[in-house]
Amino acid sequence: MKLFETDHYFHYPWDQVTAANWQKYPNELSTHVVSVDVLNRTIDEERKTLRTERLIACKQSIPKWLTFIVGGEQKSYVREVSEIDLVNKTLVMKTHNMTMSHLLLVNETVVYRPDPELPSRTLFKQSAEFTAYASISKICDKIEEWSVERFGQNAKTGKLAFEHVLQSLTEKWDESGLFVNDVSNTIMKEVNDVSKKTSNVITEVKKLGIFTNN
Amino acid sequence: MGNIMSVSFAPECTESKNKYDDCFNKWYTEKFLQGKSLQNECTEFWDTYITCVNAALVKQKVKPMLDKAREDQPFTSEEIRASAGTEKK
Repeated sequence: MKLFETDHYFHYPWDQVTAANWQKYPNELSTHVVSVDVLNRTIDEERKTLRTERLIACKQSIPKWLTFIVGGEQKSYVREVSEIDLVNKTLVMKTHNMTMSHLLLVNETVVYRPDPELPSRTLFKQSAEFTAYASISKICDKIEEWSVERFGQNAKTGKLAFEHVLQSLTEKWDESGLFVNDVSNTIMKEVNDVSKKTSNVITEVKKLGIFTNN
Repeated sequence: MGNIMSVSFAPECTESKNKYDDCFNKWYTEKFLQGKSLQNECTEFWDTYITCVNAALVKQKVKPMLDKAREDQPFTSEEIRASAGTEKK
């Protein structure tokens, strides 16, 4: 089994990132994604979560040495289950391939959460596990190696593509003023935090007796 | 986005998909995220779309693969919360 992990910050608030996530495809860079369908969507009112199952079809070119084993599959299907938790402010997406999964299983987990230090940006964590099942271990190693490499390339493109999507959606949202309240709330919260810290410092300083002359 | 159309895996479902997606995206950004609604307000579009999708899954023989995938990888809410690090105390 091979692992791939990466972190990234998107300089947009978490709620915008989650909204853009539904509108990520199609985009000019992720041309391998040919379709996205929603298969199930449920709301857990108590936990304030939205669970979604999607079917994503990809046109993925595979290396020549692999085509003779797997045949010339034109389209491969990926299943994604996600949960958006409004209380904890997390978006988790778990994805795996359905096509050729008897040969190679890729299990990906993506987590988006607000950066606790700076709520105007979102931390993105991506991890993937690769397990090749083919019987000849040499081929397995090679498939896993190639997969990790390929996944790394796609992950880079994916991040860049999402940046583009976020940018153009934010322009649209800015015009409509949809997220303005949230942004100003965030700013107010940050201002409040700063003034709270300042007053704490003043209290501490007072305790030290520096201002006792007054 | 915008200039390129978002399509369904089954071309016959693309139209109902776009209607549903538009309704959902509006509801998601304007209601759900703002804490104004926890009710699915797009059921009418959803029913048409999912009926089309379910029929196409059978027709294109994706259904057996999907059933197996759901069985192999349930991705339960518990698993998801474990990944998020937000399990119940």
